[in-house]
Amino acid sequence: MHGLTDRALDDTMQLTKHWAVALDDYVIDMGWSADGTTLAAASAAGPVTVFDAAEGQVRHELPADEEGTNVLAFHPTQNLIASGGQDGAVKFWDVTAGQQTASAELGGGWIDHLIWSADGSKLAAAAGRKLALFNPDGSQLHAFPPAPKTISALAWQPAGGCLAVAYFGGVIMWDADDFVVQNEFAYANGIHTLAWSSDNRWLVSGNQDPSVHLWLPEKQDEFHMSGYESKVKHISFDRTGRWLATSGGREGCVWDCEGTGPEGREPAMLPHDAPMCAVAYQNQHSLVATAAQDGTVRLWSPERQQALRANVKLPHPATKLAWAPDDSFLAIGNEQGVVYVLKVES
Amino acid sequence: MANDSPIPVTILTGFLGAGKTTLLNHILTDQHGKKLAVIENEFGEVSVDNQLVIQSDEELFEMNNGCICCSVRGDLIRVLGRLMKRKNRLDGVIIETTGLADPGPVAQTFFTDDEMKAHYRIDAIVTVVDAKHVVQHFDDAPEVRKQIAFADVMILNKSDLVSSEELDALEAKVGSMNAAARVQRATNCDVPLDTVLNIGGFDLSRANELDPKFLQPSYPFEWAGAYPLPTGTHELVIGHVDDEHEHDHAGCDHDHDGHHHHHHAENELDVVVMPILSTDQDIVDAARDIAVVSFSDWENRVAEGETITPGPTLQRLLLDEGNGRYKLEVTAPGIYLVFEGCGDHPLHLPVNGENVKPVWQQDYEHTHSHDEEVSSVGITHPGELDPQRLNDWISRLLQTKGNDIYRSKGVLSVKGTPKRLVFQGVHMLFDAKFDREWGEKEDRTNTLVFIGKDLDRTAFTEGFKACLAD
Repeated sequence: MHGLTDRALDDTMQLTKHWAVALDDYVIDMGWSADGTTLAAASAAGPVTVFDAAEGQVRHELPADEEGTNVLAFHPTQNLIASGGQDGAVKFWDVTAGQQTASAELGGGWIDHLIWSADGSKLAAAAGRKLALFNPDGSQLHAFPPAPKTISALAWQPAGGCLAVAYFGGVIMWDADDFVVQNEFAYANGIHTLAWSSDNRWLVSGNQDPSVHLWLPEKQDEFHMSGYESKVKHISFDRTGRWLATSGGREGCVWDCEGTGPEGREPAMLPHDAPMCAVAYQNQHSLVATAAQDGTVRLWSPERQQALRANVKLPHPATKLAWAPDDSFLAIGNEQGVVYVLKVES
Repeated sequence: MANDSPIPVTILTGFLGAGKTTLLNHILTDQHGKKLAVIENEFGEVSVDNQLVIQSDEELFEMNNGCICCSVRGDLIRVLGRLMKRKNRLDGVIIETTGLADPGPVAQTFFTDDEMKAHYRIDAIVTVVDAKHVVQHFDDAPEVRKQIAFADVMILNKSDLVSSEELDALEAKVGSMNAAARVQRATNCDVPLDTVLNIGGFDLSRANELDPKFLQPSYPFEWAGAYPLPTGTHELVIGHVDDEHEHDHAGCDHDHDGHHHHHHAENELDVVVMPILSTDQDIVDAARDIAVVSFSDWENRVAEGETITPGPTLQRLLLDEGNGRYKLEVTAPGIYLVFEGCGDHPLHLPVNGENVKPVWQQDYEHTHSHDEEVSSVGITHPGELDPQRLNDWISRLLQTKGNDIYRSKGVLSVKGTPKRLVFQGVHMLFDAKFDREWGEKEDRTNTLVFIGKDLDRTAFTEGFKACLAD
């Protein structure tokens, strides 16, 4: 846009503000509709605001949880949102009409985690140690026995065959159809986040200790990558399932998970000047976005020599990074309640 | 970030029925205009609008093979993690624990995680004690002792239900268990809020947080006696050298069963001999405070037959199987106070063939009896510490004794820095940081306190002294 004339690097990208809107509180979660026309953002105080992604107009403000929303999940194909928070109810919202369609209780206190299976047929919801599956109409499909400790992360296997559930002390893989335990892996520390690779091979946790732990459930094999500056709260696989981006202090890194995995391989580094607070790979392309506590947001092509592609600094730290389905926009929520939608151009 | 300063956290403990919820309601009704979050572990009857009350079930995360010293409270990590996610910072967090909760993992939660450390600071552990019933719980509920040991502030509640003598005795008892806590009496937890909130009781970063007087309830000596002596060189006899004489302070029946206070070999006895003007309480107390310092200072080793002179020097008498004769040089007639490290050794001061009877004597260890499991060890000592030795000692101490040391705190003078080193720990976890500079007129005195069970005062004191810089 503003052409770097004297040393115009071909691979420099532009992140420019498309629109920005302030919510009433900390942006605690965000999600895009499947068609990319709608962005939903939840404030920690409670409301979920539904935006027209093109221009930033507010379409609806959903009174999701008066005590405070924790999480939202946009359905992968329908115009449907599930939200959860401190009142302990999972709520289903028709985004077109801006109306609540259903509500369901789990009985475990706060709803902490909501995640749709890739085909959209099931919503997994966790509250404390409780875990249940719901249909898109809000009816309950199954309630699992409580986890040994509070559930700290959920991840659907992309193929949909199982749901991975992390708690302090391990990971359980529940079969998505028979609801029986497929696998159970012990891990003697806190797990903050889980992710599957798109090829369904790897299940990875980001941990308190601080480390990332990788399982190959098919082979009953596992790997441990430590050496992080601080706990690993954010991990993201690229679309191919080969590259795994991880936070963990100021130095993010990308592991090559091809073949036998990252052990013995040097990771590509994604350095920041402050502790990182978000990591997100694109959906269709190969850029990874990272954010740090000093307000910077960076775009990287980790496999390149000049990995850093773009750098912007926002006034407050990001809480969430969410790529539009076609990667044309990057939505950033921050601690002061501002939602930015940035346009990504080369 | 807009909200940089850590949010103060008050941890409320106390046995069932002690009055925690009363105190909580008292705090909440009086804190208009402040945004507080309350985390409750048991169903309380908190009835206040506009404050955030969160119910949460106790959940222990056992780190490192189930070691309790490394356990943290997973439920608190979850709730506190969510409470950080706010545009406007909270003014405070109050955690009300169950009556049976171990305060250790609650406090440890704030030591283990960078995010927790950055966003929160423990302001104080406030323990509500039921003045009427607590004593019976000492025996049937070990949690009660722990809750007292962990306290920065102790509220002796329901004090109207006991006599003032009983209350004095209780205050002395809990004071001997935890000498560093501030004790307050109340009838309905009606204490001024500035004595329980924002007091900085935990991190000690406020000046003079540790009053050296906390040493009073327990002493490095077990017995003292005052002897009127004429001028001259007298014989100081230790042990049953002369069988026809009785132990001068027989009758102070030390019940040592299993608690050995012979920290040194049987062939040593520490004494301090000091002249006093009279046996008036304030004069004896002043001498006692000097002796406390002497007992943690370097010793003068005295062999059989050698001479000691009265004064604030620790004299380590070298005994032969519990017996020994030494010379005490008295240059002016008067009353001489003799402090004995171990009160089991018979001590005689014959003048003209007659043993002088002490005109005043006191057993110090009896003020906190030997069966008291939980106690405090305080060390105050001038001088500068070698940072490496200090670090090695504290690390080793907490690693090996961390299970028994519930709390540790200190303000230390480290060689080569103008700043005070402020130190605090819970079991094996500790945090040390330099805060303000020592004042120009301030003595660079080291003050340390350990609260726990079965603490060996001599080992602590000697370990500490070995950290002094050369």
